[in-house]
Amino acid sequence: MIAALVGLGFGVMLVRRRSLATLLVSVQALVLGVGALTLAGEGSGLAVAGVILLVRALALPAILAISTRRTREPALVAPPRSALVRLLVATFVGLVAALAVPSLGLADRAAESGALALLCLGIAIVAMRRPAILQVLGIIVAENGVYLLAVSVPGGIPAVVELGVVFDLVLVVTVAAAFSEKIHEALGSGDTDLLRGLRD
Amino acid sequence: MSTAGALAIGTVAAPVVTAAAALLAPTTRSADRLNLGGALVTAALALAVAVIAIAAAPGAAAAGGWYVLDPAAGVFLALVAVVGLASAVVSPAHLRHAGRSWFGERRSHVYYYAAFHLFWAALLALPLAGNLALAWLLIEATTAASALLVAFSGKRSALEAGWKYVVLTTLGLAVALLGIVVLFAAAGGSSLSALDWSTLAGGAAALPAQATLFAFVLIVVGLAAKIGWAPVHNWLPDAHSEAPPPVSALLSAALLPTVLLIAWRAKLALEPALGSSAVQDLFCGFGLVSLAVAVPFLWRPLPWKRLLAYSSLEHMGVLALGIGFGTPLAIAGVLVHVAGHGIAKSLGFYTAIPLLRQDPASARRAPRGVARGSRATAGAMTVSLLSLAGLPPSPLFVSELMVLLGGMDAGLLGVSALAAVLLALGFLGLAHALIEGLLGEGRKRGTGPAPRSARALALLASAAAAALLALTVAAYALPGSDLVASLTGGGS
Repeated sequence: MIAALVGLGFGVMLVRRRSLATLLVSVQALVLGVGALTLAGEGSGLAVAGVILLVRALALPAILAISTRRTREPALVAPPRSALVRLLVATFVGLVAALAVPSLGLADRAAESGALALLCLGIAIVAMRRPAILQVLGIIVAENGVYLLAVSVPGGIPAVVELGVVFDLVLVVTVAAAFSEKIHEALGSGDTDLLRGLRD
Repeated sequence: MSTAGALAIGTVAAPVVTAAAALLAPTTRSADRLNLGGALVTAALALAVAVIAIAAAPGAAAAGGWYVLDPAAGVFLALVAVVGLASAVVSPAHLRHAGRSWFGERRSHVYYYAAFHLFWAALLALPLAGNLALAWLLIEATTAASALLVAFSGKRSALEAGWKYVVLTTLGLAVALLGIVVLFAAAGGSSLSALDWSTLAGGAAALPAQATLFAFVLIVVGLAAKIGWAPVHNWLPDAHSEAPPPVSALLSAALLPTVLLIAWRAKLALEPALGSSAVQDLFCGFGLVSLAVAVPFLWRPLPWKRLLAYSSLEHMGVLALGIGFGTPLAIAGVLVHVAGHGIAKSLGFYTAIPLLRQDPASARRAPRGVARGSRATAGAMTVSLLSLAGLPPSPLFVSELMVLLGGMDAGLLGVSALAAVLLALGFLGLAHALIEGLLGEGRKRGTGPAPRSARALALLASAAAAALLALTVAAYALPGSDLVASLTGGGS
């Protein structure tokens, strides 16, 4: 499962279409959510995991899909680096994050490595992808990494924290989607590389 | 529920109610009145809570289900209350001439006030948060409302600033959240109370060292992006310079130090598990790098608000050093510095309201010859910048001296000496910027009388100067006080 999660993160780094990247993140959240459901047991834990799955796998991608529809690009934004370079960077970042940090002994070692790899991969996506929507997806990939560790530690983390985090994430993604639309309105494109006016 | 608990809830609820009411306001004028009325009620409640919290004896902090009322909470709550009230009061003067905005002209006041009061509510709750996870949620909550305010003008540059702010601070907070999850697991927690400040401090000695250190580094590095410490400060100059001036004041004088308080509380709670050396290295590292990055920009001819933004970076560096040194003298310096910086920096940003009206070009270029155009604006610039530069009798002179001497007390002579050199260079840069700004050969300035906001600013500058002088006097009583004792590990 962890390999699939990281693989889907790689996909966001590589694909050019925002809609396809959004779908990949939705699938990533779905895989993660199903894993959380199986670990949640019964009762309130199951309900919380279900709500989080719905929000991460459906609501957040829906917000971004709507924003993507409203901001049609005349042509795909050309990536500043080739797919091969992006793949190499993603591999390097993922490997360093997964291998350089010693085992903390808190959760399954693979989960610890996967969480760190996804966090760093998310940061790398934000740094290397130009379209605003792809940068938001980078943030969600990073947050999915944190959620992976949260569901992997014995007993999980308190439901109120999980729900609070997902609520904040919805707020931030909604605001970021609104920004994406305003940027598109102002520049005629969601290419954040065009936002380079503020320099000292 | 105790009186203090009820007041704490009221403090957070009042701005939320004001935000909701502002959204229903039928006219601009009624929105302005709601803003002012709500701000007065909020500030009164917050200051009452702050007094109760500051009066708490060291180690005897009152705590409820979600809040903690200790002297640290009191000091920072008072700061957020005062800066928030002042920003709410000056906001109508800015909005009156703000023109178009993200939200269109007709309803811009309404949305501005709604976002402003929600942002303020999260900021007021933050010093009171008695739990690390709750604090994280509140910090993240500040992002949504404040990002809309940063990009309020809807200009291309404001969108760029707002976008950088959302993306960089959210990523930073994701890193901090990972640290919190690691810490929760390391503590073997089963409920939210495992992340209460008091629980963490009580059980810190038994925490596994490696996992706790990893968690602590993630938490502080993640929060550094929101505090604006270099090298993860890239959003700060842009957001501070593009936001409406009252919001810039709230960002610089309230948001940055309040998030810093959470990093400070994490340090106090986890130091027994980590040892003082690792913690000291991390804070002093951020402090020195922030100073070193900020100082060259203080020498450049920057637009007024951008200059103030780099000054924020410098001052957050001083606070990092003070917390890193951790001696009673340095902590006394941190308290004075937080308050002095809050007053002087807010005044600086409010000065931008008449300055930009008289000389709109100063949004993009360094101001020149302001003294020839408006004495009130020039006076406010002088009070603000000389205080921020640390010219005696500014309280920031006293606080920086305390921090540096505190560093020597901690045995970090080299760090203190390097910081002293950087602060001296920063002082010269700001003094140079002030002289050029007041007396430099200017472009052709806007004509006509000084705006009404300039006359109001003269009153505000006088009040700020008096408050700064009072703070300088109070600074001499702080070392050795109960307030400082509670912040050097003696309390909460």
